[in-house]
Amino acid sequence: MTTQTVHDGRPGVRVDNVSKSFGANGSRVTVLDGVSLSIGMGEFVSVIGPSGCGKSTLLKVIAGLVEADEGSVTIDGTSVRSAADGKLIGLVPQSPALLPWRTVLDNVRLPLTVNRKANAGRAVRDPEELLASFGLGAAIHKYPGQLSGGMQQRAAIARAFVFDPSILVMDEPFSALDEMNRDQQRLGLLEFWNSNRKAVLFVTHSVPEAIMLSDRIIVMAAHPGRIAEVIDVGLPRPRTAETYDTAEFRDLERDVRAALHGVMEKAHV
Amino acid sequence: MSENVMVRTASRAAPAPAARRPQGDGSRPRLPSWMSWRAWLPTVVAFGVTATIWQLVATANPFVIPTLEEIWASLAGAPEMYWTNFQVTLNEVAIGATSGIAAGFLLAVVMSEFRIIERVVMPLVVVVMVTPIVAIAPALVVAFGFGMLPKYIVTGLVVFFPMLVNSLAGLRDVDVKALDVFRTLHASRWETFRHLRFPGSMPYVFAGLRIALPMAVVGAAVAEFVAAGQQAGLGSLVTTSAAQANLPVTWASIFLLCAMGILLVCLLALVRKRVLWWSAADVVAR
Ligand SMILES: Nc1ncnc2c1ncn2[C@@H]1O[C@H](COP(=O)(O)OP(=O)(O)O)[C@@H](O)[C@H]1O
Ligand SMILES: [Mg+2]
Repeated sequence: MTTQTVHDGRPGVRVDNVSKSFGANGSRVTVLDGVSLSIGMGEFVSVIGPSGCGKSTLLKVIAGLVEADEGSVTIDGTSVRSAADGKLIGLVPQSPALLPWRTVLDNVRLPLTVNRKANAGRAVRDPEELLASFGLGAAIHKYPGQLSGGMQQRAAIARAFVFDPSILVMDEPFSALDEMNRDQQRLGLLEFWNSNRKAVLFVTHSVPEAIMLSDRIIVMAAHPGRIAEVIDVGLPRPRTAETYDTAEFRDLERDVRAALHGVMEKAHV
Repeated sequence: MSENVMVRTASRAAPAPAARRPQGDGSRPRLPSWMSWRAWLPTVVAFGVTATIWQLVATANPFVIPTLEEIWASLAGAPEMYWTNFQVTLNEVAIGATSGIAAGFLLAVVMSEFRIIERVVMPLVVVVMVTPIVAIAPALVVAFGFGMLPKYIVTGLVVFFPMLVNSLAGLRDVDVKALDVFRTLHASRWETFRHLRFPGSMPYVFAGLRIALPMAVVGAAVAEFVAAGQQAGLGSLVTTSAAQANLPVTWASIFLLCAMGILLVCLLALVRKRVLWWSAADVVAR
C-alpha cells in the first residue's frame, strides 16, 4: 500500500485500507484487516462489535496514537500527523482522564495551554460557556475528585470540544456509568452535538446507544478485525428520549442485533 | 474551652479553599481523628509502659542505661551545648538531603525521558547503593578530610537512592489515557512533563521523601561517627560520650537525633497535605 499524502482538501475523515498487526513475527496477530470508511463533516458514525475486535485500535489509528502498518488516514485532507499538530482531533478516552490537580475549568483549558503554535487563528470556544452548556456551570471551580463519574465524563467531552476540532473520537465514553446516567449523558451529548456538528467516531458496545446517536453504524467482526456491515440510521433529528419508543428505532435495534449475532456466530465456527 | 480548640484546629486543618477538598463535600464538620483521646490512648500507653520498663531497668543496672531523670538533667544542664550540636547535624541533614533529593529526582527525570541513560547509569547506581554506607564513610573522610563535605556526601548518598527509585516509578506511572489526550494535541515533551508527568509523580516523590528524610538523619550520624571528635554534631557526641562512658549524654544525643527525625517526618506530612490534597492514598514504589 502506498501512503497517501495528497491534500485533497476534502472535509471529514477518510480511512483507506488500513491494516494493523501486533506482536513479533512468530505470533503476529492481525487486529485490523483492510478497514476503509469515511466520515463526512458533521456526521456521527458509531463503531460496534465484539470486544477485542479492534475498535479501540481503529480509533487510535485515526487519532494518531497507533501507526497503521498499511493504508492511510486523512483528516480534512491532511495526514493524521499534521491534523494532530494543528489540534484538529478531539479525543475522549474511555476514562475521563482529567488531571486531578486542576480545576474542571483548567482541565478544559488544557488544550489551549499545550501546543500553542496551533492556537493562531483558531476559533476557540469560551471554556466557561462550554462547561455551562454541558451543565457544569456550577462546577467549573471544582476539582475532578468532587464530581460524579457522569460529570467527569462530560468535562472530558468539553475538553475535546474546546478547540472546535475537525473530528471527535470517543472510545466508549459512557461505558463506566450506570444505565440511568448513561442515557442522560447520551442525550446531553446528542443535544450539544446537534448544535455543534462535528465529524464523530464513536466506539460503543451498546446497541441502543449506537442507534440513538449515529447517522451510520459500522459493525465490526473479529479475528481479524474488519468491517462486517454498515447500517444507515435514518431516524430524524433531533432525537429525544421518545425516539427509543418508535417502531423505527425497534426495527433498527433488531437489525443491528442481527448483524452482531452474525458476526459472533462466525467467530465461533 | 475544648470547643475553642476544636474550631481553631478545624479551620487550620483546611488550608485550601473549601472547593479543594474532595473529602468534605458538605457533610457536617467532624473532629479530626487525631483530636480524639481514643486515637492517642494507645500511643500514650505504649510510651508510658516503655518509660516504666526503662526506669526499672535503669535503676537496677546503672551501667547499662541511665535513668530518664539523668538524661533530662543532662539536657537541662547544657542546653546550648546540645542546641549547637543539634544545629550542626541538622545543617548536615538539610544540605546533604537537599542535594541528594535534588540529584535523585533530576536523574529520575533524565532516566524517564531517555531510556538509554537509564540503561547506562542504573547499573552504576545500583553498585554504589549496595555498598554499605558505613564502609564508604571512612573512605570519604580520608579523601575529603574531617570537614563538612564528607558528611554532606554521605547524607546525600543515603537519600539519593530512595528518591531516585520512587521518582522514577512516579514519572513512569502516568495515566495512559491522559497521555493519549496530550499526544493527540501534539503537546511537546516539555509540556507533557510540566503538565502531566511532573505533577503526577508527586505522590511517589512524597513516598520517597517519607523514606529518605529519616534516613538522612541516619546518614549524618554515621558520617559523624567516623569523624568523631573533630567536629560537633549529635553523632560525634554519641561516640565521644560513649567512649567516656558518659551515658546520660549519649542517650540525650540519641533522643535528640530521634526528635530530629520525627520533626522532619511531621514537617513532611504538613507539606504533603498542602501539595497533595488531590491524591487520595499514599503510594509505595514497587
Ligand atoms: N499495543 C498492543 N499490543 C499488542 N496487542 C494489542 C495492542 N493493542 C491491542 N492489542 C490487541 O488487539 C486486539 C484488539 O484490541 P482493541 O482494539 O482494544 O479491541 P476492542 O477495543 O474492540 O475491544 C486485542 O486482541 C488486543 O489484545
Ligand atoms: Mg476498546
